[in-house]
Parts: sequence; structure tokens; C-alpha cells
Amino acid sequence: MTREQFISEVRACQGRLRRFLASLCGDAALADDLAQEALTRAYVSSGGFRGNFKAWVFRIAYNCFIDNLRRVQAPAASLDSPEALHVADRAASDASFRHEELQRALVRIPEKERTAIVLHYFEDLKVQEIAAIMQIPAGTVKYHLSVGRDHLRQYIRL
Amino acid sequence: MKKDIEQYLRDNAPGIPDEGQFLIETNARLRNVEGIKQTVDTERRRGRSILIITLVAGLVLGCLATLLVLFYPARSAADSSAFIQALEALRAGREFLFGGIALLSIALGVVSLGKKRQTL
Repeated sequence: MTREQFISEVRACQGRLRRFLASLCGDAALADDLAQEALTRAYVSSGGFRGNFKAWVFRIAYNCFIDNLRRVQAPAASLDSPEALHVADRAASDASFRHEELQRALVRIPEKERTAIVLHYFEDLKVQEIAAIMQIPAGTVKYHLSVGRDHLRQYIRL
Repeated sequence: MKKDIEQYLRDNAPGIPDEGQFLIETNARLRNVEGIKQTVDTERRRGRSILIITLVAGLVLGCLATLLVLFYPARSAADSSAFIQALEALRAGREFLFGGIALLSIALGVVSLGKKRQTL
């Protein structure tokens, strides 16, 4: 795959890729860094690539996110932390606040649940596709979706 | 209850960010790793060539061995004293032989895992 071909494929999916990473890490600048790292890795190994470009790039991006998580080791907020309760108690009236509230809730749930939720509800991917990206069985993805929804309910006002 | 949270998530999905500087920066980064990509591609092509050559050589040698056995069936290998000696030598050192094969397999597994990790 030449650089021009690669860039044209990237142009089609870069927005979704960056949104996926931004939802996972809750930081747009870090998400862009991770997206560039993932695309660089993908480009270097694109010589032998065959198949679904988007799914392949998302899988590499997810691996980059996991690598970054291991490097940083940020402590996850507890389900009943005061900050979390504060988020749930706030009155949500406008769309921007709801986005912010959802983003705060997302970064508080475990990363596997967050990934499954983001890919399923934001990127409209099927369970099988998510399983391929996360490299786990489809049944486990369904479990993460179910538990993730339960966890999210504790942080957001419906 | 499940429908509520699903609807909430779909309604509040974040928007897709603009291309902005992202593609320009990505393009510059890709240009910088062009050399690494060429090395990786060359290694991959070389690996594939070695695999094909090994496969073809194995097939040719296998065919030759089969033809030799078919054309010279009178003297079986088991009658040959050199063959018997070789078998006895193998039997005497089988612990080392199997240990060596196991170590080699583990080493090859570790090397191939390391290569795969480097590729991604």
C-alpha cells in the first residue's frame, strides 16, 4: 500500500478513529497522539495487509490505548467516590453538559466496558466486530456491554 | 430501563472532530517512517521467499526420495549397517535430541512472538 493509498483510507476513517480514542481516554490531545501512533504502526506494517482497513486500524488504535494505559497507570475512580456522586447529582439541562457528564461517566468505568460501550453505541459496530477489535469472545463483549450500562447508570441522570 | 440508557448513549454520542491539522501532521509522520516501512517490507518479502523456497525444496526432495525408493526397492534401508548404526546412535542420545528439539521449538516460538509484536 503506497502512502497516498494509505492516506486516502485514513481520510475516510480518521474522524471516527479520533472520536473513539477521545471517548476512551477523555482527552482530545492525547487521543490525537494515540491516533497518530496507531496510524504510524499501521502504515509500517501495511505491506502485508488484506481485509477491512477500518477494523484493522481500530484494533491497532485500541492496542495503543492499552499500551498507554499500562505506561501511565492512572488510578480509576471508585464507583462511589464523592466526585462521581457530584456528577450524578448535577442537573443536566443542555446538550453540552450532557456530553460532558457522559464523558466523565465513561472515564470512570473499567476500560473494557468503556471500549465495548463506545464501539457499540457511538461507532455502531456489531458485537462480532467489537470482539475482533478487542480480541475477546463475543459473549464477553455482551457481558461488558451489560455491566458497562449498569455502571454508567450510577453516574448519569437519565 | 435498558432502552433508556441505550437511547441516552446514542443521543449523546460525541461529534466527529474536523480533519484540521491532523492529516497534515499524520502525513509528515508517515513520511518520516518511510525508511522503516521499506525495511519491514523487504524483510517480509525475504521471509516469504524463504518460505516458498523451503516448500519447493521439500517437495522436490520428497519426490526424489519417493522415486528412489520406487526404483531401487531391493535393498531396504533397514538392511544397511550404516542405517542401523545411525538408529542406535539416535537411540543412545534421544534425551539430548528431544531436549534440543523442545528448546529449539520454544526459542522459535519466542522469536516469532517477538517479531509479531514488533510488527504491530
